[in-house]
Amino acid sequence: MSFWQKDRFLILDGGMGTMLQDAGLPPGGVPETWNLEHPEVITGIHRAYVEAGAQVVYTNTFGCNRLKMARTGRTVQELTAAAIACARAAQPQYVALDLGPTGQLLAPTGTLSFEECYDVYREMIEAGRDADLIVLETMSDLLEVRAGVLAAREHGGGKPILVTMSFEENGRTFTGCEISAMALTLEGLGVDAVGVNCSLGPEELLPIVRELCRWTTLPVIVKPNAGLPDPVTGTYGVGPERFADCMEAFADMGAAVFGGCCGTTPAHIQALCKMLQKHTPKERAVHIPSAVCSASRTVTVTEPRIIGERINPTGKKRFKQALMEHDMDYILGQAIAQTEAGADILDVNVGLPQIDEREMMESAVRAIQSITDVPLQLDTTDPLALEAGLRIYDGKPIVNSVNGEEDSLSTVLPLVKKYGAAVVGLTLDKNGIPKTAQGRFEIAQRILARALSLGIRREDVFIDCLTLTASAEQEGVMETLTAVRRVREELGLHTVLGVSNISFGLPNRELVTRNFLTMALYAGLDLPIINPNTASMTAAVRTYKLLANFDKGAVEFIRHYGAEEPAQTAPAAAAGMTLKQAITAGLKSEAAQLTEAGLATCEPMELVNAELIPALDKAGAEFETGKMFLPQLLSAASAAQAAFEVIKAHLSEHSGETVSHGTIVLATVKGDIHDIGKNIVKILLENYGYEVVDLGKDVPYEAVVEATERTHAPLVGLSALMTTTLPSMERTIALLHERCPWCKTVVGGAVLTADYAARIGADFYAKDAKETVDVAKKIFGR
Amino acid sequence: MIALHHADMAEAFRYMGHRGTPDAALLEKAGRCEEKLLQQSVPRYLYRVQPIAFTPKGIAVEHTALLLPGEDIRAHLSGCDRVIVMCATLSVGADAAIRQAQAHDVLEGLMTDAIASALTEQLCDAAEAEILAALPGLHATWRFSPGYGDLPLSVQGALLDALGAGKHLGVTLSGSGMLIPTKSVTALIGLSPHSIPKGKRGCAVCSMREQCTYRKKGEHC
Repeated sequence: MSFWQKDRFLILDGGMGTMLQDAGLPPGGVPETWNLEHPEVITGIHRAYVEAGAQVVYTNTFGCNRLKMARTGRTVQELTAAAIACARAAQPQYVALDLGPTGQLLAPTGTLSFEECYDVYREMIEAGRDADLIVLETMSDLLEVRAGVLAAREHGGGKPILVTMSFEENGRTFTGCEISAMALTLEGLGVDAVGVNCSLGPEELLPIVRELCRWTTLPVIVKPNAGLPDPVTGTYGVGPERFADCMEAFADMGAAVFGGCCGTTPAHIQALCKMLQKHTPKERAVHIPSAVCSASRTVTVTEPRIIGERINPTGKKRFKQALMEHDMDYILGQAIAQTEAGADILDVNVGLPQIDEREMMESAVRAIQSITDVPLQLDTTDPLALEAGLRIYDGKPIVNSVNGEEDSLSTVLPLVKKYGAAVVGLTLDKNGIPKTAQGRFEIAQRILARALSLGIRREDVFIDCLTLTASAEQEGVMETLTAVRRVREELGLHTVLGVSNISFGLPNRELVTRNFLTMALYAGLDLPIINPNTASMTAAVRTYKLLANFDKGAVEFIRHYGAEEPAQTAPAAAAGMTLKQAITAGLKSEAAQLTEAGLATCEPMELVNAELIPALDKAGAEFETGKMFLPQLLSAASAAQAAFEVIKAHLSEHSGETVSHGTIVLATVKGDIHDIGKNIVKILLENYGYEVVDLGKDVPYEAVVEATERTHAPLVGLSALMTTTLPSMERTIALLHERCPWCKTVVGGAVLTADYAARIGADFYAKDAKETVDVAKKIFGR
Repeated sequence: MIALHHADMAEAFRYMGHRGTPDAALLEKAGRCEEKLLQQSVPRYLYRVQPIAFTPKGIAVEHTALLLPGEDIRAHLSGCDRVIVMCATLSVGADAAIRQAQAHDVLEGLMTDAIASALTEQLCDAAEAEILAALPGLHATWRFSPGYGDLPLSVQGALLDALGAGKHLGVTLSGSGMLIPTKSVTALIGLSPHSIPKGKRGCAVCSMREQCTYRKKGEHC
């Protein structure tokens, strides 16, 4: 029997924690230990809820995970088994295994990894195998929810999965998750019901549940607190009758699953049941638009949206070099530039034959999601890389792509379904790209049929009718556009098109591409894949949206172009200035321009040694003597970095050489996530021509040693901000001395002193970034 | 809840290691960082007022599992009969803003971090004022945080639990004992119906006194 029937409300229980406190759980006591120590009390609470009318009771396992239970000396297995026994003894219709947040925040904000989080849930779910349902509640972080849901799907034996998250009055969770993002992501992942619990009382939850009802076809769960807590005492004040009265509005909205959270009691549930007897579940007519999302931003495809194409190594030597060197900063730079230029979605293609694409996709998705909330399109032909990206993606992404070949359909679409993504279908198959619009239309039909048969929504299938090069296949251009129009009008699907290809081999490519883009938009293109950094391309999309009446009142158009001076000239500031001066003054774009100009007459290394480094030396000396402060030093460093980027691009384009005065490994030690100091050191070292292997923050001891062994780096820099993480630094140094006897260590961080550095075995202490450069010069002799 | 509209820029520049008046370019850049940070931060705080008992092992905060060991907190709370346990945070949005700024350029990263620190302090001041306004007729000490003097950071876990800070504020403790979101502060304010000596606030009770860069220059934070 299904846990949920359309014609009946499902009644959940009420608060457990607050009931336990009333039953004598001491302050700071661990509720889960009572499953073993006071099972009669736990069963008594469950029974009271069953007698009040609850059909589902949640086991007393909210925090029953290994991270929180470690201090109790009890195992997750024994506590969970006891909890289920306590719940069964009350004879409810269903026992739900209750899973709360792990209690630690996931990376990048916190230090818990997705994989460990998944494993924490897996263990709880396996321990709770005798329950009837699995519930994740009071969740704030969508990524943590995804870890829990995936663990439940993969280890829960097919039990129904219910998820409720806790929203604040601003319509977001503490970690910024939007209501629409929760609904899109979780419905995609195939959970059985979604909703809200805790955080607020029923009155405050009204607008939140109303919004949720618009974004999901699943049964909606409402489990509020008994009002807002008193700030001084933390107690809840809304009584049973008032609670039930307020809950009536949710029945009218079409919510189907009801219960209570903190401060609610069996009396609240009883009053709730009485109120619901007067109602029957209301059917909701919901149409969820085509949409993709990150946890904190939903992008609907109800109007043209720009997909940025720049994170892709095809034809870009500098990008290839960045991938080979695992230079995540370069990739992040591409992400930021496109987002600021107006990309709504970013395509992520990090495939290169020489690298482990699976690992790179995972790293890139993590890194890009840590600095932008723009949704991503995972672009790969490698199913392993695709699944790696889908697994850790925090939201609902687009998969780019599937095509009409059987191999592709049977590999890619099941992954799209499992992870609840949207998908781009390329209109080609084993016979190649059909010449005619009809041929491409037929493949689109086939892709759609297969997707629908797997349960993928029509709204989540985007078709790419493929742009051919006008110079080679001029007669094909209109075929593409006809196919776009037919797919849009006859199949009702949204369309994607990479447009840049159109102008290949022609002069004035930008002109050709921009005009094709406008034609395609008019034919029904929704998701143009373009380079948003080319202002005229982004402008073409914005202009189209104005003319096609998407941009009502031209609000967006005016916002972007209202203040613009019509005739723009290139900045003239660089005139009459030397590179050295530009760097000292911290002028980034001037430094880049002057470097570009300098490369016409100078060897790259000559520029580095004669201009860049002396400018930095001067800034460094002024910093040391107090004539310049850290912000000015960093301005200079950023300008030097911009110059360096030009030199690197030049080298990778012309000679394939790199600038390297030697390799230095940098890391913020395990347990520490304050990495600003380390990043300042990094940029200065790079400015001086050292190759920095940046391992990031919260770096395990082993990872530092492995990187040092792999690169045979003569110098390792370690940073720690907190006294609590200094032992981590000491252990990393000890392991380095044991395994990498050739390397020296330099340490820094707010709580360190020279004495302490010596005591933990560091070879050098640097009080700031400038001193770290001095240490490096000593080690490398330049 | 508290709305923060401007950061104390003088304080933020001091955190950046800047002395004197910053030039226009730096101020303009800092202004942009401030704007983004304010957009993404959601300042929040949470508190409880509980009676305290002076026990041989430390100050016990009643109705919680919080026990505050050490001489400095004992001196701080002497004469008080209850304590405000509080936690304030700029939320994970501030951490995200700092990460984004860092990816942009290292100076923006430094600036955003420093401005966020200044805002956190402002948030604590505003929260303290609001809390004390809700408790008329009581005398209060200044805010004392774990890590000051000999009050160990290891009390953070019990302090957050006493507030339900994970559930009600979104502030958690990492495996290595750091507050996350990083721009979060916990503090204890002693309360008494009678007037209480203000006590020394400053370098003497600070655990950073040996390595503090301000102190080395004869300044204070």
